[in-house]
Amino acid sequence: MGDNDLTDIIAEGAPEEGTPETLTFTTTLEPGRFLGLSLKNGLLNLITLTLYRFWGKTEVRQRVWKGVRLNDEAFEYTGRGVELFIGFILALVVLGLPFLAIVFAVQFLGQWVVFAAYIPMYVFFGWLWGFGTYTAFRYMASRTTWRGVRFQLKGSAANYGLYFIFAGFLSGITMGWFWPTAERALAEKIWDEVRFGDRRLRFRMGRAQNEGVYGPFAIGWVGSLVGYFVLIFVFIAVAMTSGMFEQTGSGAPPETGVAFVLMTYAAMLLLAPFALLLWSPYHAAMMRSVAAGVSVDGATFRLNVKALPLWWLTVTNLFMLLITLGFLMPWVQARTARFLVSRLTSEGTARLDLVQQTGRGPGSGEGLADAFGFSAI
Amino acid sequence: MDGDVLHIQVGDEAFIWRLPDLSVEVEADQARVSNRRDPDARLVLPVGEWAPLAGDRLTEKVRSRRQREWWLVGGLTAAAAGVVLFVTVGVPALSGPVARATPISMEERMGDSINGQLSQLFPTCKEAAGQRVLAQLGDRIAAEADTPFDIRVRAVDAPMVNALAMPGGRILITDDLIRQAETPDELSAVIAHEVSHVEKRHVMQAVWRNFGIGMLLDLVVGGGSGAGQQAVILAGQASELSYSRSAEAEADARGQALLHADGLSSEGMAPFFERLAGKGGSSELDQAAEFMATHPDSIWRARAARAAARPGRSALSPEEWRLVKATCAVEESENPVDRLKRRLRLGDDAPVADQRIEVRPH
Repeated sequence: MGDNDLTDIIAEGAPEEGTPETLTFTTTLEPGRFLGLSLKNGLLNLITLTLYRFWGKTEVRQRVWKGVRLNDEAFEYTGRGVELFIGFILALVVLGLPFLAIVFAVQFLGQWVVFAAYIPMYVFFGWLWGFGTYTAFRYMASRTTWRGVRFQLKGSAANYGLYFIFAGFLSGITMGWFWPTAERALAEKIWDEVRFGDRRLRFRMGRAQNEGVYGPFAIGWVGSLVGYFVLIFVFIAVAMTSGMFEQTGSGAPPETGVAFVLMTYAAMLLLAPFALLLWSPYHAAMMRSVAAGVSVDGATFRLNVKALPLWWLTVTNLFMLLITLGFLMPWVQARTARFLVSRLTSEGTARLDLVQQTGRGPGSGEGLADAFGFSAI
Repeated sequence: MDGDVLHIQVGDEAFIWRLPDLSVEVEADQARVSNRRDPDARLVLPVGEWAPLAGDRLTEKVRSRRQREWWLVGGLTAAAAGVVLFVTVGVPALSGPVARATPISMEERMGDSINGQLSQLFPTCKEAAGQRVLAQLGDRIAAEADTPFDIRVRAVDAPMVNALAMPGGRILITDDLIRQAETPDELSAVIAHEVSHVEKRHVMQAVWRNFGIGMLLDLVVGGGSGAGQQAVILAGQASELSYSRSAEAEADARGQALLHADGLSSEGMAPFFERLAGKGGSSELDQAAEFMATHPDSIWRARAARAAARPGRSALSPEEWRLVKATCAVEESENPVDRLKRRLRLGDDAPVADQRIEVRPH
């Protein structure tokens, strides 16, 4: 009988002692207090050619984690910058250098090799993306403690990577319609393997499915399609009336080309809030659905995120990042964490005092995630 | 609290923590005390209770943590400076010797591979007679060049005024460039310039330099897409541009020398640069702008070329010149949809750039 079965029995109510607690989340995060940290990290990233980013990210997490409380006890982030740095170096040596070597080497080989080498490589990278995501979560869980007890993420990052490619492939051939199912299944693969100390969190797909996601997905999908056609129509109408076509045919002056590019960017920027608005019901529903699926002991969770507030958060975050060239990232992260935690509630009870400490977890972290530019926070 | 020792009583259990081992995190109304010697243990107190216990005896700790941070930042900045130094001095200094040490066969294979990819993008112009004249002109100019490579000049259909030398000795001249050239001397100057790139193995140098710089910067910034990371990559590209300038100047000078060696006129180089550097009519302006982006100091180069120019024979007879001019299809007769595509640069992102292998532009 494995370790999993044991915790299962305990979780499902075998007689044991311990005090049942209801879970109450609160936050002391004040995003305004992250402005100084934003400036510091931004400047240090500049003068160190971004090498400081591992330490900067760590400090942000420490500050965010300790601003989140469960039953009036703060979480703690115990990771260190040097661990992320080592993870990055490892990813570099094990993957980055061989990859560059292959890319470079195929230039000296025949043309067919270029295709033969690239296709499996891209599939491999799809898998690696999933793998990297999972290991990044594993690292983060192992560096998160509450009442001094560590979280951990078990399970197989390799399997997660396989499912990730599979999900991407199916979503592609169904024009996106498989993605809501995939996203929930991917969340299950992570949350069902999370442990607080030796106590396993569970993810119940049935509960998650009570929160429908396909309706909101349809809003986003159909809305995008309609919006796309309207845009093309407007574009053609504008082009016809301004006589752009005739000009291009006889050698348009370069100013037209530049203006055209600038206009395209401006239009994209103006349209982004609308696109986000179309998809915000889906994103909010998916967050609610995932939160509803998670439980620990008899405690279940509810994330009361609505589409419009989520949309406003996203739009204002992106706007601030854009006009500060990314400097305000820590502020954005604190603000987002505050937004989520203040909407997180729990019902039922958990006997958290029975939890026993677990091992230390991986020694370094997130190298792949950094290489792919992926970060949960 | 007893001097430097903190006594903690939890039920029946007693803990003794020494102040020098402790660190404290304060957030809102709580102080969380950690002990270096018992890494998993935490003592959480209201701030009001902790402050009188420790007083300011932990300020020394904070100071030493700050100091460590300064050391870290100093070290990282030094590492960054090392990278910058290596990119700006080390890589260019190494690229020459490494390029010269690259086996000929390796460079030829690379050329074949790039040629295969470019042929898809830029089809070879159809008229065989004109191609033959171009190839012969290339051979004549290359006769005096000290290169093991087989120089193969050909005209291609591409939406830009440019010429490029590939690794292994292939040289591409675009139809737009042939159209822009007003005399055979101008065209032969361009070809001589490209032959010099091949002779000096500039292309291979650029390949190694791009590889070295690209790899190094990728190593530093990872795959991140943050503003800082993009800035670093842009800076790397800017430094690449400055190396290519000196290579261009070298190829200009050597190109003229090759023409002189064959008794040809080198007077076509300067006017060609001058015309492209700004006097183009409005319909040519966008092409000139494109040329300027890869050749920012055409005016300066034109001046140098004029100073070194010598008269000589014309490279081509009027009949040969007519054949060359007719090598590629006339643009006006083309399908307007294709022209629109070219103008909007659709299907024009060369895969070679993605792979960090750059062909040396003219």
